Parts: sequence; structure tokens; C-alpha cells
Amino acid sequence: MSERTTPATTRPSTRKRYKRIAYALLGAGIAALFVAVALDRFVLGVALYWAGGLGMGLVQRFSPVDLYDERDTTIERKASESTMNVFAYVFILGAPGGLVLEESGIVTLPGEFYGAMWTLFAVSAVFGAFVLYYKYRT
Amino acid sequence: MRNDIPDRRAETGESQADLAAAVGVTRQTINAIERERYDPSLELAFDLAAHFGCRIEDLFDPTAEDR
Repeated sequence: MSERTTPATTRPSTRKRYKRIAYALLGAGIAALFVAVALDRFVLGVALYWAGGLGMGLVQRFSPVDLYDERDTTIERKASESTMNVFAYVFILGAPGGLVLEESGIVTLPGEFYGAMWTLFAVSAVFGAFVLYYKYRT
Repeated sequence: MRNDIPDRRAETGESQADLAAAVGVTRQTINAIERERYDPSLELAFDLAAHFGCRIEDLFDPTAEDR
């Protein structure tokens, strides 16, 4: 067995502590948003919410330890892939299907349908752009 | 991928948490590797082999049938 010692920054307890701080900041921001909205202080609420999110991002970015390991990254990648697959089917089947049904006079689609389809189109376009970017770089 | 990390841990008397801390991952990741539910990256495989003072192929058996 090697005689390597474990740096404090890779200890699970350190990782857990910084994760808790990050999530606590976000949680505090969300709680502050609800409280501020209840008090009709919308701008303050959003500012506090953003501050919480920013705080979480700063902790993740500048903590002395990696908050997520390679398995976490793999899990996130697989979850993202599955999510994209689900919405790709919704978009590929839903967009033309909805349009055909409306053109046929069978249904009248609400504006939300077009909003959802344009959103899915935008997400697919961004995804495709990143695929090309990473394909070029890899 | 089949591996003998549990046996090697038993030899050294380390817990999953000890090993996880030594190679810089979470205990859950070590657990997943031991249960053959997660294949480590090449970098982590090298770290694990270095930790136990052996070669990667001594630690992992890619020819064994996955569960």
C-alpha cells in the first residue's frame, strides 16, 4: 500500500461541509424570496434569491475541494442525456403532430403549445451547438 | 467491471471511506465500483492501483462477465 497521506481538501468531511454551505446559501436565497414576496418586497426578494444563487456558485467555484467527483459527473451526464432524449421525442413528434392536427381543424392549439415548441427548438439548437463545439475540440 | 478492491481493502484494514479519502472521491463512488455498478475513469483506476501498490490489471478484470 502506498504511503500517501490524504490532503485535507480531499477529505469527505471537507467536501460535505462545503456542499452544505453551498446548498444552505441557495436555500436561504429561496426562503428569502418567498418571505419577501409575502411582504410585497419583490425586488428585494429577487435580489436575495440571486445573491443566494451567486453565493452557491462562488462556493462551488472557489471551495478548496472538488464538491463533485467523477461518478457525480457521470450521473449528471446520463441524466442530461436521458432528459434530452425525452424532450427530443416530444419535440420531434409533438411539433409536426400538433401543426397537422390544427391545420386539419381537429384541434385548436393554445399559444402555450407554440411557446413550448419554440422553447424545445431553442434547447435543441443550443444542445446541437455544444455538440459541434465539443466535437471540434475533442 | 469485476475487481478485487474489497479483498484488498480487507487486507489493509481500510474502510470504503478511508479509501475514498485516499483517492479523492466519495465513499459512494468506491461502493459503486466494488458493486460493479460504476466503472472508474482511467485516472481513478491508476490512483486506485497506485494506492494498493499494484497494476491496474491486477485490480480490475475486464474479461470477467459483468453482472
